[in-house]
Amino acid sequence: MSDNGTLLAVEDIDAYYGESHILRGLSLEVQPGEICALLGRNGAGKTTTVRSIAGASPPDVRSGTIRFRGRDVTDVPVDDRSIGGIGLVPEERRVFSNLTVAENLRMAEVSRNRSNLIGRNIGEPAETVDVDVIYEAFPRLDERRDQLAGTLSGGEQQMLAIARALRQGPDLLMLDEPYEGLAPQIVNDVEDAIGRINDEGTTILLIEQNAIAAMAISDRCYVIDQGEVVFEGPSEELEADEEIRQRYLGV
Amino acid sequence: MSAVQELFSILLNGLQLGAIFALLGIGLTIILGTMNFLNLAHGALYLIGAYAGMLTMRVVTLRTGILQDYGFTELGLGWGFLAALVIVPTIGFIVGVLMERYVAKPFYKRPHTDQLLVTFGLALVVEELVKQVIGGNTFQSTSPDTLFGLQVSGPIQLPIVGAFPRWRLIIILIAFIVIGLTWLFMEKTDWGMIVKAGTLDSEMVSLLGIRIGRSYALVFGLGAALAAFAGLIGATFETVRPQIGTQRALVPAFLVLVVGGAGSIRGAIVGGVILGTVLAGFQQTFSQWGQIAMYALVALVLVVRPQGVFGSVEVEE
Repeated sequence: MSDNGTLLAVEDIDAYYGESHILRGLSLEVQPGEICALLGRNGAGKTTTVRSIAGASPPDVRSGTIRFRGRDVTDVPVDDRSIGGIGLVPEERRVFSNLTVAENLRMAEVSRNRSNLIGRNIGEPAETVDVDVIYEAFPRLDERRDQLAGTLSGGEQQMLAIARALRQGPDLLMLDEPYEGLAPQIVNDVEDAIGRINDEGTTILLIEQNAIAAMAISDRCYVIDQGEVVFEGPSEELEADEEIRQRYLGV
Repeated sequence: MSAVQELFSILLNGLQLGAIFALLGIGLTIILGTMNFLNLAHGALYLIGAYAGMLTMRVVTLRTGILQDYGFTELGLGWGFLAALVIVPTIGFIVGVLMERYVAKPFYKRPHTDQLLVTFGLALVVEELVKQVIGGNTFQSTSPDTLFGLQVSGPIQLPIVGAFPRWRLIIILIAFIVIGLTWLFMEKTDWGMIVKAGTLDSEMVSLLGIRIGRSYALVFGLGAALAAFAGLIGATFETVRPQIGTQRALVPAFLVLVVGGAGSIRGAIVGGVILGTVLAGFQQTFSQWGQIAMYALVALVLVVRPQGVFGSVEVEE
């Protein structure tokens, strides 16, 4: 743990996609237990930010430091970061459509097999969440255990993507546009699920196109533009700051 | 021969060719699907399997090549088919794992063109090595007379079809057992599950904390073992020469890939059997049209369903 108990600290990172410089000295912090929203227009660098934090490649983080629970993870591989407690539900759900719901959820177990853990330097792996707890939280998935994930509706696939990440027992769950392409009623369901997950102690970093919805659900917001942070503060403050909202979010 | 009799005989021959095509196609398709790696050296694994199989099964007389220059006139273990059944896939697996580590891995992030060039180069090197060391001549096929005391050579009388080479029937059986085992491995084990997931989205697998690199080595080894096994059974009914890797294995494997779709094991099996049957059908009726018919079928698939019959994965450049 770092001094102030910060869960995630991104310090002055520069990230590239090939030769394009996407994040320019971006810094942000996430405190344990909060819902933090990452806002900004398309192409502002939101997805690049969460991918950098998860350790996915691309992007290529060329300078700066990423600390998780006080530990420098900048050079830690993506799979190690996942087991260490950083979870990402990427854009477009990306469930394994050729596997069943149960198999999608089994991935967490497989990741904790001894053969998969051997030779890693990650300290204590995050404790996985029992599958029954997951099924209890997502009854729709329980009913569809043996169905191929590709046959689920969009909302169910989003639930599965979230449930799959949750099973890993992450301390930090990053969600990249979880409401994208969902019907309004389903959006409410997913929103409820995110609220419940947070109530049970998981810290959340949420990317959302719909700034109004994001401000409503989150404790704190970051607004980024052209790879730099242009606003950070409590969500109420952003709601009150019309200029920033107009200029960077168009609302 | 009546039409019905002919049809059944085509189907049997098609199954036998198809089984070999499927064995080759499975390896190629899972390697392409999982690692997005195009392996033109896949045929070289068949070649290695054929020679390793032949040299395990019997002792051959060398007529040309470096070994012969140095006074070795005979080469081989002469241990028979069952020994080869164990040794050849093992060799294939080891070669595959090494190939993954030293040839494929450095090229995963490179364009397909680079992958094609390096693996084609490797295929030529293997072919030329075999030619130089063991000789460029053709060796006769070898098949056992008995297995576990049962006669496996000579013709057998089948209903409808009539006389059919007993060994070919055994090959169909063994090949489909191996295909079935591969299928079970992919469907029923965690390894298989990871590979299937990785075929679709390897990054997502690593985002879930699974070290996909290990699976890559395993997939490559498995694909190579299947190709070597195909080479072994190929060597029991076809002549063995250095060119078979490209002609008998690489080309059919790619055709299977096109028909079945990239990344689909089911596609490789069905595609293999379809292509095998088409080839067998034409070989028995209008023999000079066999190869052309196969390419025509592939062209048709490309026009009607470019992602292949079972393909869902878009392979990107």
